[in-house]
Amino acid sequence: MNSLVLLNGSPRGERSNSMKMLARVAEGWVRGGGQEPEVLHLAHRIGFARAVKAFAQADTVILAMPLYTDSMPALVKSYIEALQPRTAVAEGENPALGFLVQSGFPEASHSRPLERYLQKLARRFGSLYVGTIVRGGGESLQMMPDRANEKLWKQLRTLGEQLAHDGCFGAEELRAVAGIERMSALTLALARLVVNLPIMQFYWNGMLKKNGAWELRFAAPYAPAAKL
Amino acid sequence: MRISILNGDPDPSTAFQVYVHDFAQRLSASGHAVTTLDLREFNLKGCSGCWGCWVKTPGECAKRDDSATVCRAAITADLLLLASPLTMGFTTALLKRAADQMIPLIHPYFVVEDGEIHHRARYAKYPKLGLLLGAGGDCDAEDCEITTEMWRRMARDLKSQLVFAAVADRTAQEVADEFARVA
Repeated sequence: MNSLVLLNGSPRGERSNSMKMLARVAEGWVRGGGQEPEVLHLAHRIGFARAVKAFAQADTVILAMPLYTDSMPALVKSYIEALQPRTAVAEGENPALGFLVQSGFPEASHSRPLERYLQKLARRFGSLYVGTIVRGGGESLQMMPDRANEKLWKQLRTLGEQLAHDGCFGAEELRAVAGIERMSALTLALARLVVNLPIMQFYWNGMLKKNGAWELRFAAPYAPAAKL
Repeated sequence: MRISILNGDPDPSTAFQVYVHDFAQRLSASGHAVTTLDLREFNLKGCSGCWGCWVKTPGECAKRDDSATVCRAAITADLLLLASPLTMGFTTALLKRAADQMIPLIHPYFVVEDGEIHHRARYAKYPKLGLLLGAGGDCDAEDCEITTEMWRRMARDLKSQLVFAAVADRTAQEVADEFARVA
């Protein structure tokens, strides 16, 4: 059975939404007969260094990350740059490569340009590309109890199981787990109506109030005269 | 026009480094007020996704580093030029670290824009964005296209648009002339 290394590229480390999702992929992998995968957090110095070495040793690597300002977090780009020597190795020497990209936006469309980059990155390494799990609404995983996300967990376990059985993620399952690709005109119209309602902002407002920062929520400290 | 350049080349000895400063001088000679920030000289700790800049110290990163200088240079400019060599098919981790720490410039609340959900503006005015890429190495035209597309989306999230994207494969004067035509 192939070895699997799961890399968590979230700057939040263990407590990240990326890790929550990656953990379900790992469960599916084991359910599919795979050995317990090694999990490494790039946010930790030792984990980062180990992840550079692990890339040269694993049969399959899945690199998970949140979408930061419309691309990979700087932490993940640093890791990719550290792997540059691996682009010079012989064909077949690098692991099969897959990715997981989750964002706080509800639509998957925000993450598609990054997905295209990652697909090209696998080619750069001469790696077999096993697919990219793209999922929006990632920040809601922090807000909801785990049981409320059971449908997503099931989808991710299925993808992990497919990886163990077939060596790649299934195209249909990747489409399903992505959820909303882009909102329909009707959904957008509804979104325009509700987006400013307090219920849509309760998560942020709750934290602002808890931190005593509510009155400052519209602060514009670098251009005070241009405050909205 | 006030132009802030974020130079994301971590190596002070490269030809791209010389190119960026030559380009900046040509923009200055055209009458623009240009400020170049060599990011390698800044202490940027990177975004850790703590949301402190949205819920604890709104509009400011809670980390004690130089990210406030970067944010101020960005939001007070008419045009923010992102300059970086391409490494592994994308702009450098150094430039990305600066960009990740620019999220205090927007607000956590959502709005509907361009048929998608985006974050709400925090400021009344945002700089236009430009992109200057260092060519060479193992990077090709497809890498430039993918990179430009990701920064085009970043510009949209920064309530702006990418008005200029060029590869430093011509003289700095030729690229400056193109800049003058489009930006």
